[in-house]
Amino acid sequence: MATAPAEKRPPAKHVSLVVNGRAVELEIGSQPHQISPSHTLAHTLRETLGLTGTKVTCDNGACGTCTVLMDGAAILSCMTLTVECHGRSIISIEGLADGKTGKLDPLQQSFIDHTAFQCGFCTPGMIMSAKSLLLENPSPVEDEVKEALSGNFCRCISHYQVLRAVMAVAGKEA
Amino acid sequence: MRPFTHINARTVKQAVTALAQQNGAARLNAGGTDLFGLLKDEYLPAYPDMIVNIKTIAGLNYIKEDKNFLRIGALTRLADISKSSLLRQRYAVLADAAHSVATPQIRNVATLGGNLCQDVRCCYYRYPRHIGGPIQCARKGSGACLAVTGDNRNHAILGGKRCFAVCPSDTAVALTLYDARLLVVGPGGERQIAVGDFYTPLKNGLRSDEMVREIQIPRLPEVPQQTFLKFTLRKPIDFAVVSVAALVSQATGICTEARIALGAVAPGIVRADAAEKFLRGRPLTAETAAQAAELALADARPLSRNAYKINIATALVTRALLGQKECEIPPDEVKAYNPTELSTFHRCSSSTPPGYATVVESGTATP
Repeated sequence: MATAPAEKRPPAKHVSLVVNGRAVELEIGSQPHQISPSHTLAHTLRETLGLTGTKVTCDNGACGTCTVLMDGAAILSCMTLTVECHGRSIISIEGLADGKTGKLDPLQQSFIDHTAFQCGFCTPGMIMSAKSLLLENPSPVEDEVKEALSGNFCRCISHYQVLRAVMAVAGKEA
Repeated sequence: MRPFTHINARTVKQAVTALAQQNGAARLNAGGTDLFGLLKDEYLPAYPDMIVNIKTIAGLNYIKEDKNFLRIGALTRLADISKSSLLRQRYAVLADAAHSVATPQIRNVATLGGNLCQDVRCCYYRYPRHIGGPIQCARKGSGACLAVTGDNRNHAILGGKRCFAVCPSDTAVALTLYDARLLVVGPGGERQIAVGDFYTPLKNGLRSDEMVREIQIPRLPEVPQQTFLKFTLRKPIDFAVVSVAALVSQATGICTEARIALGAVAPGIVRADAAEKFLRGRPLTAETAAQAAELALADARPLSRNAYKINIATALVTRALLGQKECEIPPDEVKAYNPTELSTFHRCSSSTPPGYATVVESGTATP
């Protein structure tokens, strides 16, 4: 059925967001260099911006692998439209290490120290969920860590080491 | 995902105008966690032409109490609801129900309005297009409900009619308990719908050009004993097999008020009127709670493979009335419980093609 575009607001031509502290301006459209309104944030991070640290497993919001921080809160980048991120600040796993010195975030170092992974595919999501928790609550108890990580699945069962790694950072920061 | 037109609505009026202009081909997007299932799996015959972002509408994210109502904006995130101290103190069932939804990442974006308006989780209805779907069914307007003769472990034991998919919303259970209503806006103006009347077997009560603006809970005169229980096969990111909310006020050992709401057992949320009436004026004991639970499930008519839900619901109603928070049920307490069937339940409902859905596999539940 034909629709009258009378009150329809034309879509914004650009979407501006901050990714890992860097301002990014993306053009919306259907050309190869542009982003489509149907692109997810996970797709844009990986395919447009080349930030392949964020992984995609189920692409359906069920596994937590694609977790990134949006304005400090953990969200699923596979269930977020890039065009709806206008004005937001996104931090992916690449944004945790110190940009100047390259020094890893305490969480990243702790994951290495505790060997908190096997295949490592879920690790970026695990670290981002844990980071979101520690930003809100720097000294969580064990149950709070389990709760915060309840949306991140690991098929290698690294959860025990992950819990120890996060608790170690919480202890240091406490 | 296939392309679509995307607009940002600045006001509720803009959003419903866009819906009306698109005549059913537009979808609202708030948290997106349910909508993306449709966009990615394309389980409906028609793909939306337009997505209307409503997160850009200011002023719909609030929890406030006035003289008559507790009012919650439709765009209030589940994370805010589960952490709200006002709700924790006075409307704990709603806070618990919101907290029981999915995962922290999803609760950080999912909204109360979206949780109430989400589509059903029936494995036939949501069967993905790219692996041999979509499957036609009564809910999609052609054919019969496949769950009646197929895998119906996840389906209704009460009130199913043409479609036996259950209402998946946890917050709707809490809101039905509180006799809450929805303030719905369409092109012609506003109207109110009780949450208890919102869900019907084939669809929810929202017309294609309407959106929920506010959820209104009549103020509770006091803080009663209230409990929300949700039985799932795994703790995070799972939909309820059965969920129950109960509220009891007592004076001198006698129930002055009793309310029971059951979720995931019917196309809508069920208030157990007979059981509530039975409890009012009686003392609340383990015995009367068990009797009330029997009454609450007296009308249940299970399908071929979901009689176990009656046992789980009965146990949860009894416990919720008594204020017990324990959700786990040992297998020997559930008469019709078949551990092999339950262990393969979520595999059948997510990715096994329907031809295999009735095959009982051996093996144990994934921890």
